[in-house]
Amino acid sequence: MFLLPAALLIGAMSFYPMAQAFILSLKTGRGTRLNFADPLWYNYQRLLQDDIFKLTVQNTFVYLIIQVPIMLVIALILANLLNDRNLRFKGLWRTAIFLPCAVGLVSYSLVFRTIFATDGLVNDMLMGLHFIDSPINWLGQTGTARIVIILGLLWRWTGYNMVFYLAAMQNLDYSTLEAAKIDGAGPFKTFWYVTVPQLRPMILLTAILSTNGTIQLFDESWNLTQGGPAYTTMSMSHYLFELSFQKNPNFGYGAALSYVILIMVAILAAIQMKVGDKRD
Amino acid sequence: MNKLQKFASLALALPLSIALAACGGGATAPAPTTTSAAASGPKSGTVTVWCWDPAFNIYAMNEAAKIYNKDNPDVKINVVETSWDDVQTKLTTLAQSRETKQLPDIFLMQNNAFQKNVINYPEMFSDFSKSSVDFSQFPAGVTAYSTVDNKNYGLPFDNGTAVLALRTDVLKEAGFTADDFTNITWSDFIAKAKVVKEKTKKPLLSNTSGSGDMAMMMLQSAGASLFDENGNPTISGNQALLKSIETYKELVSSGVLTEVNSWDEYVGSFVNGNVAGTLNGVWILGSVQTAKDQSGKWAITNLPKLDGVTGATNYSANGGSSWAISSNANYELASDFLAKTFAGSKQLFDTILPSSGAVANWLPMADSSVYAEPQEFFGGQPVFQKVIEFSKQVPKNNTGVYYYEGRDAVSAAVTKIINGTDPAAALDEAQKTVEFAMK
Repeated sequence: MFLLPAALLIGAMSFYPMAQAFILSLKTGRGTRLNFADPLWYNYQRLLQDDIFKLTVQNTFVYLIIQVPIMLVIALILANLLNDRNLRFKGLWRTAIFLPCAVGLVSYSLVFRTIFATDGLVNDMLMGLHFIDSPINWLGQTGTARIVIILGLLWRWTGYNMVFYLAAMQNLDYSTLEAAKIDGAGPFKTFWYVTVPQLRPMILLTAILSTNGTIQLFDESWNLTQGGPAYTTMSMSHYLFELSFQKNPNFGYGAALSYVILIMVAILAAIQMKVGDKRD
Repeated sequence: MNKLQKFASLALALPLSIALAACGGGATAPAPTTTSAAASGPKSGTVTVWCWDPAFNIYAMNEAAKIYNKDNPDVKINVVETSWDDVQTKLTTLAQSRETKQLPDIFLMQNNAFQKNVINYPEMFSDFSKSSVDFSQFPAGVTAYSTVDNKNYGLPFDNGTAVLALRTDVLKEAGFTADDFTNITWSDFIAKAKVVKEKTKKPLLSNTSGSGDMAMMMLQSAGASLFDENGNPTISGNQALLKSIETYKELVSSGVLTEVNSWDEYVGSFVNGNVAGTLNGVWILGSVQTAKDQSGKWAITNLPKLDGVTGATNYSANGGSSWAISSNANYELASDFLAKTFAGSKQLFDTILPSSGAVANWLPMADSSVYAEPQEFFGGQPVFQKVIEFSKQVPKNNTGVYYYEGRDAVSAAVTKIINGTDPAAALDEAQKTVEFAMK
């Protein structure tokens, strides 16, 4: 009974639009002149022939495969360090590492863009240290531009995941760690054989959240590189936005793309659940 | 129990009230304009306007309001600052949800996006056929941007005529004057710019990497377009386009053009004096003039023309914008306001020119004394009169509905060609991309 208002609201605000979007994805046409496509799955068929879409999928997965594992490992290590009972100024470190999450996505992207500009901080530093002779056009080349985006994501989200781990670690029974110590396990072995297995549900959760977040990546692609050079850093959601609002609005096609993103997230989450969940 | 009930009712009421508040806010947003009195007498009412630049078009709109208010003191012009991206997004969402009631009376639109929006969302616009605006007083190349099926949907505001602006003190150091860069071809330009670069270490041009604007200006200067008159893409095998991109590649590889990553960097490159010139629509002079320490050291001239392309000229355009009247407008009042200001007031353009650099498209301004005044910043050149002369010679360009798709595909091709892809193959691919988008 008490769940009813919330359930109704979720239904009206979330599921109804989702159903509408699915119907929209079966339509085709420019602007407001939308008609049902023939065949109905025309937009989905079209996606398979869209070279730019394929490129954006590839870009998104590059981010996903490189960034998510690095981020989760760093977050785990940081959380473990901060969980040390003898560490001083714990609150300070924790705040400092978590703080990037409180920064707006757009503003941090702009700062990164300035730092990595041709005459920006990074180039000045590298030139000053004589590592390079002429400035590197960080955001103008495919490889380096992707690195900058990944660095940005790492900076922004590592602290966020660390807080999850820290919370989970504080719920661990300290006696298990002590027992390991008494049995002669070093810090690494304690971490690997005692802490990590107990954190498994939390690691699963953060992996799903990060995968989901990376697949829907938009702000970094939009603000840092505008998807360039030549679409090679554009994310799927950025392409979706471009199709719907910047180019000739093709909302049917855009809706189809958003459903494909949804299906990808669902499949990846399912795989992770299967691999990560060993409760039985 | 009591507490729980309270919490539950709060949980129900709070989101609902927020949702209701959102709806309520939406419904009352733009105050519907009251109808005016007789057509001839002084009018009254409110005109809501969307435009985006406080130093440029918002300023111009406010000045226009002052002039109109002299005869019509009861009219209120309400300018809402809305960035161009927001104007486009709002139009799209309003059209999609059929909420034309939320439209302002007048909004400003980029020339290159005009046809696309009119063709996709005709129900959002009112055409100018019932207004008293005389479109023969505007250059045909400019009104073409906002003309669909021989109906005018836009009143041209600022001029997008392209100029080549150069630092005369840097040129002098290398033994040149601005005249050496007037009426030349791109191969001349590159040869001379190389000398400048050698002697002063300064490149003459800069451009945002991955932006096809420069290639687009070169293309239009030869009277060529990405689309033919029927809107079909003509990218593959387009000789003028191929030559434009090859020229751009040579500019980059010879080091006389330096590529930067963002608009701020681009503006910074010449304001900071690292780059000794720029090539863009005349509106760029507003940014050039922010470098107060460089006053008197700039000059403008026409563009170099493409070598060996038939129809090549020294004139082109980039950008520019036009005023549109929405379908939700108090048409009589809005069209009368525009006709008496942006298409009928010399005083308006004389006022806004010196302070904002907004050069008129309205041809009667060519013999205005303010336009003929020498500009101290540009070493005493009558810059704006020159621009109006240039603007008459700009070749027409077919933007069509898919201009942005075409431009972005070509921008991607430019990037690939600079990185070593075969130009003809890259253009074939761009053509395929655009054809795919048009399906």
